[in-house]
Amino acid sequence: MTAAKSRAPDFGALRRDALAVRRKLLSMHFEAHSGHIGSGLSCVEILVYAHRIWKKPEDRFILSKGHAASALYAVFNHVGLLSDADLGTYYKDSTLLPAHPAAGALEEVPAATGSLGHGLPIAAGLAFAHRKIRKSSSRALALLSDGECDEGSVWEAALFASHHQLDNLTAIVDVNGLQGFGGTRDVLNLEPLAAKWRAFGFLTREINGHDFKSIHAAVTLPRRRGDRRPLCLLARTVKGKGVRFMENRLEWHYLPMDEGQFKRALKDVEASR
Amino acid sequence: MRVAFTAAVEKALLSDPDSLLITGDLGYNAFEGLASRLGPRFLNAGVAEQNMMGVAAGTALAGFRPWVYSIAPFATLRCLEQIRNDICLHDLPVRIVGNGGGYTYGVMGSTHHALEDLACLKALPNMTLYFPCADDQVKAAVVMISGEKGPTYLRLAISGFPSSRPPLAENPATLTRTYHLGGGATIVAVGHAVQIALSALETSDSPLQDADVFGLAKFPFDLKSDSSLLKSVEKTQRVVVVEEHYQNGGVGESLKAALPGVERFDILGAKYFRAQRYGGAAFHLKQSGLSPEDLAERVRSALR
Repeated sequence: MTAAKSRAPDFGALRRDALAVRRKLLSMHFEAHSGHIGSGLSCVEILVYAHRIWKKPEDRFILSKGHAASALYAVFNHVGLLSDADLGTYYKDSTLLPAHPAAGALEEVPAATGSLGHGLPIAAGLAFAHRKIRKSSSRALALLSDGECDEGSVWEAALFASHHQLDNLTAIVDVNGLQGFGGTRDVLNLEPLAAKWRAFGFLTREINGHDFKSIHAAVTLPRRRGDRRPLCLLARTVKGKGVRFMENRLEWHYLPMDEGQFKRALKDVEASR
Repeated sequence: MRVAFTAAVEKALLSDPDSLLITGDLGYNAFEGLASRLGPRFLNAGVAEQNMMGVAAGTALAGFRPWVYSIAPFATLRCLEQIRNDICLHDLPVRIVGNGGGYTYGVMGSTHHALEDLACLKALPNMTLYFPCADDQVKAAVVMISGEKGPTYLRLAISGFPSSRPPLAENPATLTRTYHLGGGATIVAVGHAVQIALSALETSDSPLQDADVFGLAKFPFDLKSDSSLLKSVEKTQRVVVVEEHYQNGGVGESLKAALPGVERFDILGAKYFRAQRYGGAAFHLKQSGLSPEDLAERVRSALR
């Protein structure tokens, strides 16, 4: 992401976008009786920012943490890339919207993800092709989970992107501190994570992943002349953000909601605005 | 085959401005000239095959057609999921090239042998496999791969029992070669394993003299187009497949499934040994019962 000298976005409007996406996301999961709610809630602001502010038509966004696909679909719907009717098929038989983004299903999804550690290499390939061969201005953004950073291929891609000075590549890591079967500190400690990305040659910034001002400031902060490092944003987030009984709870990586939980969840996100 | 490949791929790369050559840190004494001619279209991705396949997929999503080169097991098994998810699921024109199919790397040891590559890749959607029978077929394979719109795998190899015997005929659509017509049994070799059969034919009283010898070079098959092979099988009802690959999941099994009702169908493939000893490719072929003599013995039995 290169610094854009445009005026500041309407942060109030972005917050309203995020609220609408959370509502939609909860409804989708309730109707589909599907899990991965917490993983979606933790990256709503990042997804909204990426699609409302960051992305230009020639750019590519890859949801490397494919298990947050429902949140991506909700954002697509909210910004007009996916109809209500199509969104209504989420998780149902014959849908193009499975729990992890599918190949060749949606124009806005360049690559199927769901197995962790694939998105950053693909984004790096896109960034390399555009920066080094086509010499075009296209950029690539991959959104990773923190647990995903256990995968060696993430660090292979980090070496590659840094070596080739792909300043048109951004990795955002949704650092919610929880992975499949425990806290990231307990399962396979990633810290000091910022020092690792810096050591791998990324311009690295730690941000509040639920604060649009924080995201925008990190994306647009001017660089020193000649600094061509790829960008890594470590977005500190809360898994299940916005729904108190889900926040920082491992089980909401998996559980679907019953009707009572759905109502409480909606109330919570309304109250959190 | 590496020399033949380098020459052929050079031509392909220079005639297609959207093609790339990506290597997993291999190509010493082969790609140097090409690297300087291709400029940014040549990329050494380092010793990081998973990332290399993901990057190749990314460049293909950006409209390029990358050739991706490494030693066969590293280009296939190490990054199998990247090949499936990133490349095959999206039907991208990524041309994977594995050097050292079968026992080519002999005394380098088991880690360098590729005896499962075809089994793994032939199960993947959209994937087309090319496994040339001889050096003089590599160019045709490269030309055909250049015309493919989806993912491909090219298996380069050197036989432990090399032969320079030319084919009698080659089907331009499938690259299936007819090497000998003896009429009594049908020997179908998978890629460079045909050279085992050709070496056997150098002995004048070999039972292979009484057999038809074909070399397959492409999967999926198009047997309808390989009418001489089909005619031979129909007539002999005795098929002996020889492949430098484990039998489980190999091309021989697929051929057997494609030719139901054949009276006798034998497959000679590579074998696993727990406490293995190592040597040149010919040593390993003998160890696995894949020498020209072993094949001759099996053909003799099939002809009875």
